[in-house]
Amino acid sequence: MLKSTIVDARVRLVPSKKLLDFLDAQKEHFQQVPENVAKIMKQNGHTLPIRIKIIKDAGLVHKRPKIDYDLLKKLTENLPDTPKESAKDQPESEPEAEVKDSNDEESPKQVKYFLYLNDLHWLSNTLAELRRQDHCQVFLHQLIESCDLLLPENEMKPRNPELEARCQRLRAEQHNRDYLKMTKNVDAGLKHYPEDTISYQIKSLNKQIIAVVQFIFSVAAGFTFGFFGVNLMVGPLPFGFRILLGVIVALIIALAEMYFLAKKLHEYDEVLDAPKRKPQPTTPTKRKVVSTPPADGSQVQTLKPHAD
Amino acid sequence: MSTRNSEKEAAGQLLDNLYLDMFHLVEEHTQCRVNLEQSNASGAILLARTRFQHGGSHCVSTAQIPTENSAEFNALCRVVDSTDGISIERQKVDKSKGFVEPLHWFSVLPPMSLRNAVSKFKDCIELVAESTNLQRQLGEALDWITNLRRSAVLN
Repeated sequence: MLKSTIVDARVRLVPSKKLLDFLDAQKEHFQQVPENVAKIMKQNGHTLPIRIKIIKDAGLVHKRPKIDYDLLKKLTENLPDTPKESAKDQPESEPEAEVKDSNDEESPKQVKYFLYLNDLHWLSNTLAELRRQDHCQVFLHQLIESCDLLLPENEMKPRNPELEARCQRLRAEQHNRDYLKMTKNVDAGLKHYPEDTISYQIKSLNKQIIAVVQFIFSVAAGFTFGFFGVNLMVGPLPFGFRILLGVIVALIIALAEMYFLAKKLHEYDEVLDAPKRKPQPTTPTKRKVVSTPPADGSQVQTLKPHAD
Repeated sequence: MSTRNSEKEAAGQLLDNLYLDMFHLVEEHTQCRVNLEQSNASGAILLARTRFQHGGSHCVSTAQIPTENSAEFNALCRVVDSTDGISIERQKVDKSKGFVEPLHWFSVLPPMSLRNAVSKFKDCIELVAESTNLQRQLGEALDWITNLRRSAVLN
């Protein structure tokens, strides 16, 4: 099982019975209700009065609320032995744990509707309004105390079996190659395997010779250009200067060419290092062409020969 | 009586705000982690591509990283922990002062994919710092919530 990326980073809150009942009881006083909340109330069998406007809050983004830290400090300053207690009951995880515990037995069924952050903002504003109008004295924290908080979680995905099989095959091939490379000069059967045949030697020699000849040729061409070409273009030049020009041009080309030559020869080394064997029977498992026998009864099955 | 009520109202509002703030922080923190994951993954993919294109272990390998016996150099990137959170401080590459470019350990002319991978991993560090800051704020908010709930005003 693999963890996949979190798709929905939103915090979700499962509304409790208390919260829904409260919404139902207070619905006369609402001016407007977010779409999500309206849906949740409908699903729970509560109807909304018709005059309430339903807001679609698709693009609505709420900012983080301002917190009055001075007041906060004032309110919490005369707490008795705070550090000891907070160390005891681990404030980091306490609120969530508390919230969860209170709701576990209440809603064992799978719920499909959640309150999102926008709804909570709306609820908070509405409650402030209601408190001001003296309809009730309820705070948001009292309502959400009994709610279940769902934190965004990774989805678990099983690994694709095809990929797994392919990975294993590749890994086995790689290990096999490493092993052959390691045992090349121990195993007598392998030792002379490809390198000792004359054709192989000549082939690899040919490749290298071609690379070197190319190098020499381009350097010579560079020198010729410096020696004759510049003279032809500009006019008669002293002999010493012509030689100097030729050497300079040839040097520049030689430097550039040297880089590529080194790279190429290095590659040959690589190829020589890994002994080649006839394709192993284990590798081409992926291409099994099984053609179903046609219905008209011809018994000859055509299997494709090795594609690779 | 009315002062007591108004105080209670203020405290309740404060607690509500703290809860909302906590939710905001949780969301931001999650988003930050998701970004971090993406950035790290694409950096790793780019690194793998570099190794793939340039012939296995010759281009980028751990053997090229300086060991204890190598020449000393200064860190280009520092984590600074101040009162308003963690921040990342970067230095300009300056050989004379000992700030060497780490890319040059691997090759003199680094390929494009390796450069891109470096910038992705640099982003990762910034995101880690941001995530740490958010996590601290979240812990603080939770602390405040527990403290406030315990205070006498609400009961």
